[in-house]
Amino acid sequence: MELLLHHLYLVSIFGYLLGAVISLGYLFAKKQNTGHIIVNALCIAASAAASAASIGKIFSGVEILNIFSLQSTIPFITLEIRVDNLSAFFVLALSVLVFCVSIYSIGYISHYNGKRNIGLFNFLYVMFIISMFFVLTSANAVFFYISWEAMSLLSYFLVVFESEKEENQKAGTVYIVMTHLATALLFIGFMIVYHYTHSFDLMAAHNGTVIPEITRNIAFILFLVGFGTKAGVIPLHIWLPYAHPAAPSNVSALMSGIMIKTAIYGLIRFVLCYLGVQDTWWGIVILVLGMLSAVLGVAYALMEHNIKRLLAFHSVENIGIILIGLGVSYIAFAQNHLLVGGLALTAALLHTFNHTLFKGGLFLGAGAIQYAVHTKDIEKLGGLLKKMPVTGFMVLCFSLAISAIVPFNGFISEWLTYQSLFANILPGQFGLNFFSAVAVAALALTGALAAACFVKLFGISFLGLPRSEEAANAQEVPKTMNIGMGILALICLGIGLFPLTILKLLDPVVGSLGGGSVFSQLQGGFMLAYYPLTVSPGSISPAALVLALAGIILLALLVIRIVGGEYIERKYGTWDCGFEALNARMQYSATGFSKPIKIVFRILFRPTRKITTGGDSFYYPESIEYATTVASIFEDYLYHPVIKRLQKFSQRTKYKIQTGSIHNYLIYLFAAVLLLMLYNRLA
Amino acid sequence: MKDCTPGRIGNEAMNSIAYIIIQLIVTLLAAPLVGGLIKKVKALTQKRKGAPVLQMYFDLYKLLQKTSVVSEVSSWIYKAAPYIVFATALAGALLVPVSTKIVPVLIPGDFIMLVSILALGRFFMMAAALDTASTFGGMGSSREAMISSLIEPSILVALFTVGLLSGSTSLPRMMQTVQVTGFPLAHPVYMMVGLALLIIIIAETSRIPVDDPSTHLELTMVHEAMILEYSGRHLALLEYGAAVKQLVFITLFVNLFIPHDQLIPFMGFGAVILSLLLYLLKVVLMAVVIALIEVNTVKFKLFSIPNLAALSFILAFLGILQFFILGGYHV
Repeated sequence: MELLLHHLYLVSIFGYLLGAVISLGYLFAKKQNTGHIIVNALCIAASAAASAASIGKIFSGVEILNIFSLQSTIPFITLEIRVDNLSAFFVLALSVLVFCVSIYSIGYISHYNGKRNIGLFNFLYVMFIISMFFVLTSANAVFFYISWEAMSLLSYFLVVFESEKEENQKAGTVYIVMTHLATALLFIGFMIVYHYTHSFDLMAAHNGTVIPEITRNIAFILFLVGFGTKAGVIPLHIWLPYAHPAAPSNVSALMSGIMIKTAIYGLIRFVLCYLGVQDTWWGIVILVLGMLSAVLGVAYALMEHNIKRLLAFHSVENIGIILIGLGVSYIAFAQNHLLVGGLALTAALLHTFNHTLFKGGLFLGAGAIQYAVHTKDIEKLGGLLKKMPVTGFMVLCFSLAISAIVPFNGFISEWLTYQSLFANILPGQFGLNFFSAVAVAALALTGALAAACFVKLFGISFLGLPRSEEAANAQEVPKTMNIGMGILALICLGIGLFPLTILKLLDPVVGSLGGGSVFSQLQGGFMLAYYPLTVSPGSISPAALVLALAGIILLALLVIRIVGGEYIERKYGTWDCGFEALNARMQYSATGFSKPIKIVFRILFRPTRKITTGGDSFYYPESIEYATTVASIFEDYLYHPVIKRLQKFSQRTKYKIQTGSIHNYLIYLFAAVLLLMLYNRLA
Repeated sequence: MKDCTPGRIGNEAMNSIAYIIIQLIVTLLAAPLVGGLIKKVKALTQKRKGAPVLQMYFDLYKLLQKTSVVSEVSSWIYKAAPYIVFATALAGALLVPVSTKIVPVLIPGDFIMLVSILALGRFFMMAAALDTASTFGGMGSSREAMISSLIEPSILVALFTVGLLSGSTSLPRMMQTVQVTGFPLAHPVYMMVGLALLIIIIAETSRIPVDDPSTHLELTMVHEAMILEYSGRHLALLEYGAAVKQLVFITLFVNLFIPHDQLIPFMGFGAVILSLLLYLLKVVLMAVVIALIEVNTVKFKLFSIPNLAALSFILAFLGILQFFILGGYHV
């Protein structure tokens, strides 16, 4: 069994590598279609192998699976791949998403046919996947760091893939600066830990017992900021809404679906396992950051009308929900309350997995809209459900899932998060009840605003009348794209209806992280009801609910048939208030839809508006132009002032240090060498 | 106190089937009555005679037989929404027991799920309102999005607090706990949460001062704007769904804050009937209270509603803080 899993992982890695080589092979070929299909087929096969191996790994009971280890002559650098339960779980999430995205890509790429070098794209795409695979499975901090850096750089190239657009260049710059600042902090963190443990091996930290408390706290903050930036935690989120819309949609699905989750993996791996959670305030910090990200993320998303920027802000929101779970679990672990910790960690991990599925799916949906209508602006869409029924249905499913509405998977993980908050308050001994109570409110507000936002997204783009010529002439996308989305939607529904299956998978993962078993608290009864009785007695059964809904609808149909007779329908136009004909400009726009919420939360958005009327008469203007803007608080009040100061400072010091005289530079060198020698002597 | 364990075939399964049937019948029959009662009380206070209390039954019967006019613009969402709205309201009703003398077993769910089920219905209603490309639909949908997202946090915090008092998120358990606490509204935690829930009921059931169910004036309407294009059986389902949802919230309030089953010392069939009668009495009282509130207030302008929502949220949150300080009843 162990050998089989080992080989499956190897097959998967070599599948990806082969894909990368092949895509390089047809880099300069004229006809790139065949190569494209082969590479994606390899990705599909490799990800299927990795999924199977990961599920097998978690259920096999094998604690650690060494895949391979390559010693190099360069000190510290060992290529070591090792899979434990946590890695296996994240690899599973990665593989499931890659499986669906690769199927989708087969059709989607015809978008770029002849315009772009598909060989180059595929090379970057496959390498990006491998780098994420290595981030999740590397057994040593240096190799982790190298893979992390490779992941950031490869995703940068993918962000600027359509490099002639100015906005993409800006997006790339913001992304690369933010990500490198974060990576630098991670580097310092690794160094600090190395100083005390004398090893880069991820197993060597012994829960941070060898690290003094102050240093441990510093390392925690370094890791939190470093990984928080990649995850898009507010206020470090500013790169996300630029980078995700710029990348091609299949890449945004990967970036938003799984790349930002590698940061969650990092937070668990390096904080929970590496440093060990000893202080309660770590959990509180994470919980508070989670609440902020969740509420502000969804609030900003509501104001966006660029479909991909909107989805990017929802990633911020969902990372916030994950962090709420993670924060509660760290608080509980620090208080040695393993069962609550396990429940909260299960909630966080499940939401991570769920978000991979539905956010990946939503970005694929956005890609399908872009493929068919060539726009990312919701205000130019409308009526697409009739033109693209399958895509529309998928987007509806994903929208319900992300809004935590039954019977989809988002509800299950949010329900578990509520339960963990409930269980955290219930014993009444933590003294942290206040934070949990605020978190309940934050989570509820987030859920309601998310539902409003996705009604807007789905309603404005798929329902009503088409708002542009392109939307009116849209056509359904290729079948492979729909299949990719369809598989994701099916898994979303499957987890939502039968949560026990995935919870069974999560139990060994949480168990090996030190959490109490949640699954042993489940009592699978009739139709898979979920009863964590000793944690907090509550129970839901989505499957029974769906049966009840179906039963009620059937009953209603029957009763109406008996009372009301045959269904007679008369088609007629929508009431147009007495004007001559209804047109698309009379219906509500996305701006109008979200305006009440903008006014209610105006302190947050600081909206401005400008109305210019053209023509001589006040009463009969020839044209009216309406412009409205929403301030980006963090950019305006946090980043821009800092950048401005920094630039001024650099300007001033430039001529003092970098004088251009070679003599000065020699003095610098001399001083540096002298200092190093002195340090060596003294230390 | 009885645990809600998964159904075992036998007596409990029989009980829960009986529960579902009783719950459905009571809800379906009582729901249209509440609206009629409210209208009647309002009419009487205005020295009018008013429509008969049973008017909504006649309306529904008539609507079911009418031809449905469907907009050419709309898609399948428009036709599916009424069924989903109705089904979610009724499924929600299955989670909120009308009597704790019989305990539901077959459909496990708690208040978090209740909120989510109602959100499913609301999602489709708001989407369907956008589907006809009518300005009114969009307006209602947009306003509903605002009101619901402001109210939802206070619903969850309020019910969460009551849940903490009984150590469970399951509604039957919460209602059973209240049975042994005497008069809950005298307890400061329950009092705060009760007031919060009263505001929530008014907002969620589209009543004055949040929404006016009886006008079709574009300045005021929210719920009516969303269903403006509907006719025939679709309209009947939407109206019925709204009535059921209203009853769900009223049931939540009366059974959580004015428990009555402790008055019935015996068990069995007689107890269930007596319990249901007492329940109906409470619903009638609640309808009168809502009518009196409606008569004595005016419709708020749209942007005053956030203040009302904030008030209810603060009350609910004060409730949870008081729980931390005082603790609950030790039962």
